[in-house]
Amino acid sequence: MSVAGPRRKRVPASDEERARAQLAIGDITPRSVYAPESPEALAELLRACDRDGRAVVFFGGGTLQGVGHAPSRYDVAISLANVAQVIAYEFSDLTIAVEAGLRARDFDATLAAKGQFVPLDAPLPERSTVGGILASGWLGPRRAAYGRPRDFIIGASLVLADGTIAKAGGMVVKNSTGYDLSRLYVGSLGTLGALVRANFKTLPLPQARRVALARLPDGTFRRAVAHVAALETEPTVALAIAGFLDEIEGRDGSEGRLFAMFEGTPATVERATRELRSALGAAGVPETTILDEAGTRVYQQILDAYVSRLGNRTATYRSVGLPSDVVARAEALARLARVHELEVETILDLRCGDVIARVSDKIATQFAARVVEFDDALANVLSNVRILTAPEALRNRLAMWGSSTVALAKMRELKAHFDPRNTLAPGRFVGKI
Amino acid sequence: MLGRVVSARCASAICYTSQALEVAAPPLTPLIERLVDALGADAVLWEPEDLAVYSFDAFSEDCLPAVAVLPRNARDVSAIVRIARDCGQPIVARGAGTGLCGGAVPVAGGVVVSFARMNRMLELDVPNRRAKAQPGVVNLELSKTAQPFELFFGPDPSSQKTSTLGGNVATNAGGPHALSYGSMINHVLGLEFVDDAGEVVRVSQDDAGYDLTAALVGSEGTLGIVTAIDLRLLRVPRALRVFIAAFGDVETASAAVSAIIASGTVPTALEIMDRTIVRAIESHYHAGFPLDVGAVLLVEIAGEPEDMVAGEAEIETIVRGHGALSWRSAADAAEREALWASRKGAAGALGRIAPNYYIQDATVPRTRLPQAVQRVEEIAKAHRLQVGNVFHAGDGNLHPLLLFDRRERRQVEAVVSAGTEILTACIALGGTISGEHGIGYEKRETLPYVFSANDLAAMGRVRDVFDVRRSFNPDKIFPSSASCAEVLPSRTA
Ligand SMILES: Cc1cc2nc3c(=O)[nH]c(=O)nc-3n(C[C@H](O)[C@H](O)[C@H](O)COP(=O)(O)OP(=O)(O)OC[C@H]3O[C@@H](n4cnc5c(N)ncnc54)[C@H](O)[C@@H]3O)c2cc1C
Repeated sequence: MSVAGPRRKRVPASDEERARAQLAIGDITPRSVYAPESPEALAELLRACDRDGRAVVFFGGGTLQGVGHAPSRYDVAISLANVAQVIAYEFSDLTIAVEAGLRARDFDATLAAKGQFVPLDAPLPERSTVGGILASGWLGPRRAAYGRPRDFIIGASLVLADGTIAKAGGMVVKNSTGYDLSRLYVGSLGTLGALVRANFKTLPLPQARRVALARLPDGTFRRAVAHVAALETEPTVALAIAGFLDEIEGRDGSEGRLFAMFEGTPATVERATRELRSALGAAGVPETTILDEAGTRVYQQILDAYVSRLGNRTATYRSVGLPSDVVARAEALARLARVHELEVETILDLRCGDVIARVSDKIATQFAARVVEFDDALANVLSNVRILTAPEALRNRLAMWGSSTVALAKMRELKAHFDPRNTLAPGRFVGKI
Repeated sequence: MLGRVVSARCASAICYTSQALEVAAPPLTPLIERLVDALGADAVLWEPEDLAVYSFDAFSEDCLPAVAVLPRNARDVSAIVRIARDCGQPIVARGAGTGLCGGAVPVAGGVVVSFARMNRMLELDVPNRRAKAQPGVVNLELSKTAQPFELFFGPDPSSQKTSTLGGNVATNAGGPHALSYGSMINHVLGLEFVDDAGEVVRVSQDDAGYDLTAALVGSEGTLGIVTAIDLRLLRVPRALRVFIAAFGDVETASAAVSAIIASGTVPTALEIMDRTIVRAIESHYHAGFPLDVGAVLLVEIAGEPEDMVAGEAEIETIVRGHGALSWRSAADAAEREALWASRKGAAGALGRIAPNYYIQDATVPRTRLPQAVQRVEEIAKAHRLQVGNVFHAGDGNLHPLLLFDRRERRQVEAVVSAGTEILTACIALGGTISGEHGIGYEKRETLPYVFSANDLAAMGRVRDVFDVRRSFNPDKIFPSSASCAEVLPSRTA
């Protein structure tokens, strides 16, 4: 059942079986897979699906497909892999327009060639795409210093469920011209339409970056956190990590680690790392390693760890909240995990206030039962929690979006107005929208 | 507020004075009676002389509402929305009325909701650098409240001594420091608003689900009435410098700005003022700007102390290489503040050289600034109008001020045509028709120059979700008829 049409490429039959398997979500495998070669072709395909009542899920690199419930219906996977051009890089204006399927790594490289960047903090940048990062509402640790992906998007082209192409915003860095729908599409997980092109403002790359990595012996954790918060020059990123030993290099042993990254001029990062080292020393932290190039690699490993999963026996939660209670929330989460006999590893984002907690069990079957109970109980402990990744089979049994139901009626109405036939990723979003 | 600013469009065409006359005659309408019952007589105004202050903003004037109400809390606002809805009356939220596009003007009459009594700071959370404020809090108050804790609020519209946070949210206001800190959209963490059913809704950018906070910011009071705002505060930079460079003309100064941005240096502010503006503000403020030059560039850099010397050297080199006649640094904090105060008072100072002015707001890509400035000059010349330029150059955000005398019919007509030509010119350069003031009433018919019928229909879907009856600020943002969108040319980005 393929839809014929110009420039709308259906994945060749030989690859199709494999592609379909790869694009399965939950226990549903899509019946067809398409990779249209232009926004127009995508629009035409979408129009046909909408008309015929076939449910669609968009795919970028698939790295963040772990977000959200499994769709309630899923007939067609539309990959944006062939809509992946850099459309216009106006580097002298510090703006860039790219298509959604562009890999994060290629996006970064394009910008870096002109000494610029957009702080997307993409996990798995080899695979993840600009559109996927935006659609999934991905948030990285550098947002405290630079802003969210949403703060960098200045315009977009959107394909609505009925195949209408609409543009929003523009290619200027300051804009109060009507509603800017591009921001509404960030974090909408493909439930309002396809974001096929995104315009960004860019920043000049910092001249220098330096990472300080320290082992936190037992009993030094709280004091170290307090000292970091009191630094004159704030780190761009400050994370306290417990666990994730398989993913993140730098230290072995079971103790916690502190990761701090400074970006700025060489003079500033030099002084700031020195200040950090002595602050940590005062907190009883015996040694701090300073990394330059290697620091960037460790940072990427940490970002990857946010979404990494060990077989079918882990689930990773993100608790969102104020930086001032990040430690308390992490402790509450860990306590609850232990009550349910789950192992827990955490990343505390001291500047943004996120707690990333991966709970696990050595035995997958045991894990399933325990995590479902843990998940139920969590609603009474923390209010704003969501799941970054969990075993496919558990996706519809866990509160993927947490227990919050803020303004759900308005959200349902938005969905109904943009996708009246419920064609786009039905059931995946908050409140099973 | 600034002096007399008059609607550049035909004032009588946009107003419904007959409605005002009806309201003036006793007995009280059911609308007013119910509002008085709900909020008390001291919160409801309906005599024409009391309503006059709600009939204008800094763009246009003379549109009397049927009634003005002064709520004290969200519950009051909720009651107002329910009553207005029952009576079939539109609702227009009003902050300080400094808006420059007719946004707060009740062009269709109805109920004006003034936030003059909802002007309290609700919370200051120093460790997390957040504040919660009622919408009537004046922008500058927020930074003043935060200052003892070495925090400040990023968006600083030149109107910050009067304009309110509610108005700033609604227009996605910017200001000179938007260059590095961004506009309101980058600083609003969450909102409480009253929806079209009168329900109080609280949203935050951290909520799971659609980013309704982002949808509300910049919606100019058309999606809901904002009753509380969560805001991000920034740490006061450890070091800060302000410089003044003089140029022979605005084009040269603009080219220098384009070059600074292209070099990959982003200062915290880059503002240009032309000779007309500098003269006006100097005679008013005596801040020490050079007088006999074509244009002045105000540069601010901020960051860590050890970066200041290199930062200055880098910009000075570019600026001198682009024909700067002079470059100097403000001596101390007092001089920096004086320079900023006079820059932000520029529009007010113009009262000295012309009875009226019309301020335009458009943005172009920053490399196109010199062309844009040149086009503005040509257009003004063709219409025999004097123009002053004072603008957020670093963002490519132009603010040509067309000077005129409203008693001269020719001049008024020329201002209207020149204004539209400037917008068209900026669109042709890849820009857009508002960088920070919004569309309001002023530019609603120009919006289809930028967005196609499809684009506007997509925005319309959002409006349908929040306000299908069009009771919140009707006749704003969207063109008067859908057919306009089909007839007028649209630009493809
Ligand atoms: C001299 C001068 C300089 C200026 N400089 C700048 C500048 O540098 N940058 C800039 O961005 N702007 C500037 N402005 C424009 C103006 O100050 C801004 O648009 C400001 O945000 C308006 O705030 P206000 O409180 O006066 O709002 P108003 O003019 O009262 O209202 C503006 C809009 O906000 C809506 N609104 C107000 N309160 C609410 C609420 N609680 N809920 C929902 N909607 C609401 C109104 O309905 C209207 O659409 C300047 C204006 C003047 C006169």
